[in-house]
Amino acid sequence: MDKHGVFRVFSKRITKENFKSILVQNIVPIMFVILCLVAVRWSGKPLAFLLQEVVFRMSRNSFLVLSLVIPVMAGLGLNFGLVIGAMAGQAGLIFVAARQIPGVLGLLTACLVALPLALGLGYMIGRIMNMARGREMIAGMILGFFMNGVYQLVFLFGIGTVIPFSNKSMILPSGIGLRNTVELGTIRWVLDELLMVRIGPVRVPLATLALSAVLEVLITWLYRTKLGQDIRAIGQDMRVSQVAGIQVDRTRIVAMMISTVLGAFGQIIFLQNIGTLNVYDSHGQIATFAIAAILVGGATVSRATVGQALLGTFLFHLLFIVSPYAGQNLLGSAQVGEYFRVFVAYAIIAVSLALHSMQRARAQAAQKH
Amino acid sequence: MKKIPRLCCLLLCVLLIVSLLASCTPEEQPEPVDEPGGEVPAPFKIGIVTGTVSQGEDEYRAGEQMKERYGDRVIHVTYPDNFMAEQETTIGQIAGLASDPDVKIIAICQGVPGTAAAIDQIRQTRDDIIIVVVSPHEDPAMIDKKADLALDVNNLARGAAIVRLANAMGATKLLHYSFPRHMSMELLATRRQQMEEECERLGMEFIFVTAPDPMGPDGIPGAQKFILEDVPRQVEQHGKDIAVFSTNCGMQEPLITAALEHGAIFPEQCCPSPTHGYPGALGLDVSGIAGDMPKIVAAIEEKIVEKGGAGRFATWPVPINMALLRGGIELAILALEGEAELTNMEDISRILEQETGVSVELQRYSEDGNLFLALVGSVIFGLDN
Repeated sequence: MDKHGVFRVFSKRITKENFKSILVQNIVPIMFVILCLVAVRWSGKPLAFLLQEVVFRMSRNSFLVLSLVIPVMAGLGLNFGLVIGAMAGQAGLIFVAARQIPGVLGLLTACLVALPLALGLGYMIGRIMNMARGREMIAGMILGFFMNGVYQLVFLFGIGTVIPFSNKSMILPSGIGLRNTVELGTIRWVLDELLMVRIGPVRVPLATLALSAVLEVLITWLYRTKLGQDIRAIGQDMRVSQVAGIQVDRTRIVAMMISTVLGAFGQIIFLQNIGTLNVYDSHGQIATFAIAAILVGGATVSRATVGQALLGTFLFHLLFIVSPYAGQNLLGSAQVGEYFRVFVAYAIIAVSLALHSMQRARAQAAQKH
Repeated sequence: MKKIPRLCCLLLCVLLIVSLLASCTPEEQPEPVDEPGGEVPAPFKIGIVTGTVSQGEDEYRAGEQMKERYGDRVIHVTYPDNFMAEQETTIGQIAGLASDPDVKIIAICQGVPGTAAAIDQIRQTRDDIIIVVVSPHEDPAMIDKKADLALDVNNLARGAAIVRLANAMGATKLLHYSFPRHMSMELLATRRQQMEEECERLGMEFIFVTAPDPMGPDGIPGAQKFILEDVPRQVEQHGKDIAVFSTNCGMQEPLITAALEHGAIFPEQCCPSPTHGYPGALGLDVSGIAGDMPKIVAAIEEKIVEKGGAGRFATWPVPINMALLRGGIELAILALEGEAELTNMEDISRILEQETGVSVELQRYSEDGNLFLALVGSVIFGLDN
């Protein structure tokens, strides 16, 4: 079934001969597994709690992490512009919260409101990425900062002045701008509780997980289509693809649009689980953490699979859950675990980016010889 | 051959789960000591969530103080330094405390974003936990309903209170230093408004002076230099019975220095606490007495009196968040033991007065809510001397 290898975690099949090179290539997930093992051992937390936390974190984060796969395949690198998709998702949620639309209908409305915004923004990001070819990641990150300014302008100044807003309880007393917290009471846990199954002491939100599973199947399916083949081709070599008659620019824009829309939906799924929306911060580091997770799974700037995304989400969040407790138990200080966790999260991004560059340089050198 | 990568994944997962199980063997979970002669089993545990020292030392130290008071009954964890962006971790940390069935009280200070979500998550499985939130960052109207007890400083009422205090200390004029960025913040602008109104009511003159923004091109040093130069000018123009106040933390130290030197009145810092501005302005080394507020207050008093500022300098006698956190926990313990009521004004006042050592004025945020806003009486240095 997995003909195109999108489910695969390791890049090659393991044989005796290439064992060492596979070890080197997958050093990041291997390091993380070891770290997780140590941290889990020392956290001293009950199994039920850890499983419950991991299940919930997987359910709310998988979708966001999966939305990174397509741009990587298209050679656009890691999509730091995911925050922009998240902002579109939040706009949808704010609309639903203002109208107090309940239940699944509310969730669907949020998606519907977010969809055109995300498509438009995705198109814009794609256009800019085409201009900033070769520097997509830093362009995406800066675009995220830029859009954050626009977002704040709209919701902090636009609401109540340019944009009429009926729900007065969500607005600051001065009548302009949204309050910093929006309660998502009407759609809180709507998706999670659609199909909540209890396995032993752990509650599993099957519907949310199923949605991520559907996305996985869709991504696999996409690779069998013409568009998917084009995306893979331009990811491998843009020049050759151009010669072969693939519309490179258009395909890259489409890949960006898909990722942005998925990011918007991912943020809606994420926040319906959290239950409150921090209007000005919720999207802040969505991209950084999703990217860290996919890197932890062994993905690189140019290669990412669904399997890596899921393994990465699992490992990254497991470490996030246990490391503060492990730090506390090992060193007897509540804060050391926190510093340790922060250090690991950012170090892993730096290490994976550096390793990837080294591996690529080595591969290029090998080709020359 | 093709199965091998998937096999590896499976192996990894199995390994992880095995280690999870290994970490959860019964020996890891200390059983309550029940044997005769042994310690009496602790009736319940208290979970405390604060920032790390790099975020705000006061709260972390208050958590440590509670740990000293109640020993192993206290589980102290921290929320992320980068709490604005890492809500999930905050939620995980708070909810993690509830995974221990012995935990019956969870106190969070400060209530950073994610607190409300964590309360919701805890409530799904546990309704026997008392949740105390100190200094909520999220919308107060929401925390008012979600927490069992929420405590915060009554920042709005402080406006009038500062003017009344200055008046009692003999001031005829009040000088308010601030800058546009602060004045666009609703709370600070409203407080200024209230100060102005209270001044009018008491027949005092309200003077507003725009200082350079410390976030501006001159930075904090520029703003501090301005204060050091401007206070003597103002004292010369308006006389010594002028009370000075600034909305910015960085300006407190030069403000105290200049007021002391030129004889102005200083009723309160922007964030009232004995350790805010005073030790630096007075060249006081508090390293030996860190955390011991009565000693720090006494040391400040001695210096102020020595420099001739008796009766003209004041502050709150405690770092308020510390007192609110300790008080909130003590009240929750009493409530669990059936000796106090969580949302009873008298009980809250009593406990807070016990923790602060001075009178506390309480105000309820909404009629049937659980958020209480506290205003603490001031200590005026050298008043009795």
